[in-house]
Amino acid sequence: MRWRRRPEAHAPHTLAGAYALNAVTAADRIRFERHLARCRACTGELRELGEATAALAGAVAVDPPAELIQRVIAESARTRQLPPLVGHAGAGRRARRGPATQGVRRRRPAFPRRLVSAAAAAFLVAGAVAGGLALNAERDLLAAQSRDHTIAQVLTAPDAVLLTARVRAGGTATVVMSRHDRALVFMTVGLPALAGARSYQLWLMGPRGDRSVGLLPPPRDGMTSPVIARGLSPGDWVGLTVEPAGGAGTPTSTPILMLKLV
Amino acid sequence: MGISDSRAALGPRRLTGAGLGHATDASLEGLLNQVARGDQAAFEAVCARTGPVVFGVVRAVVRDPFQAEEVAQEVLLDVWRAASRFEPGKGSAQAWVTTIAHRRAIDRVRAEQRAADRQLRAASHAIAYDDVAEAVQARLDRERVQRCLGCLTSLQRESVTLAYYGGYTFREVARLLGVPEGTVKTRMRDGLIRLRDCLGGE
Repeated sequence: MRWRRRPEAHAPHTLAGAYALNAVTAADRIRFERHLARCRACTGELRELGEATAALAGAVAVDPPAELIQRVIAESARTRQLPPLVGHAGAGRRARRGPATQGVRRRRPAFPRRLVSAAAAAFLVAGAVAGGLALNAERDLLAAQSRDHTIAQVLTAPDAVLLTARVRAGGTATVVMSRHDRALVFMTVGLPALAGARSYQLWLMGPRGDRSVGLLPPPRDGMTSPVIARGLSPGDWVGLTVEPAGGAGTPTSTPILMLKLV
Repeated sequence: MGISDSRAALGPRRLTGAGLGHATDASLEGLLNQVARGDQAAFEAVCARTGPVVFGVVRAVVRDPFQAEEVAQEVLLDVWRAASRFEPGKGSAQAWVTTIAHRRAIDRVRAEQRAADRQLRAASHAIAYDDVAEAVQARLDRERVQRCLGCLTSLQRESVTLAYYGGYTFREVARLLGVPEGTVKTRMRDGLIRLRDCLGGE
């Protein structure tokens, strides 16, 4: 995925049709959704275009096998539903994020209009659909600020998976991984502050041995900003240890988090 | 549609509208509302109503029947899970569901074929809807859409159908059709607007 500025970046509105048809790459989608957030006219237009694409879908409708519906209904009985989106912490209004292409995703005015925030929003749209996304994790992700387009790429990868786990020392870790990109993004919230000259260090642990990903940055507002780990191998776990301030070559303490990468 | 008939509604079904604002959409929205509160009978009715369009669009894009079933199943479960996130102000329930289905299908083919030479698919993939047309229940809806597609210029029609049924990005469509990317983008938007106008006018 390349992020160079293209000529049409000046006229993102022309992407409306391609966007409604899902004929855009992740990068295009992010760019267009940033535009959407500022374009009232687009909302109405997309609604119209969405009805046209729904008609295209209707034109190829075909009965699914009866077992398929039966399986879905059986599965639904043991599948927890997502709660409605209500006010986020610190936000005095309803969060509006739907799983469809249909509309403006508002952001808090103070929220930095960084690429990755748009990426996180785009991911969350997909993630909300993919299900299992806890509101906490949504907040973590939305609040996460980043420095690197790789993060956007992982977050918007079609195969992105979100994992969360409790850290033994306290707090929660969130991992978004793309098996295809062999990369993951790691964030935490609520990790206890470390006394003295010690740091949290992130590892990939698996058949290829323990590889250091790096030290977690110091938390801000209780959260550590995203850390990227590349070069995932099959069978890897993510591990978090407490190490001496500069980090260690191999883990020197029992991991306070071990998360199997699915 | 009431909840009481949701059981009977399973099995071979007519297609209820193509997301064009028919009266039936209002009740689909109502059903989604009930689904959001965990109403399984309502969900069965939603599956009966949207199953054909979900399965149809996924099959058109994904092609492989086994994978299409898998994806369609995921889509319907998404509807169950995310029903509370449906916002009626932003479009019809039918459009909401088909968008989920189409995105999931596109995600599947792109994940699988990102590295592959997509051009190979072009020849066999153009205007996929013909392949499954004979199985469509909603003959009238289908014919109407096809008639309206016929009102588009050939470049508009090819751009729209290659993107929607073929799962190509606009850049890929531009390459396939040998026209500039900007032209394809414009044709997609114009084509959808014209399609919408035609469908709304009938």
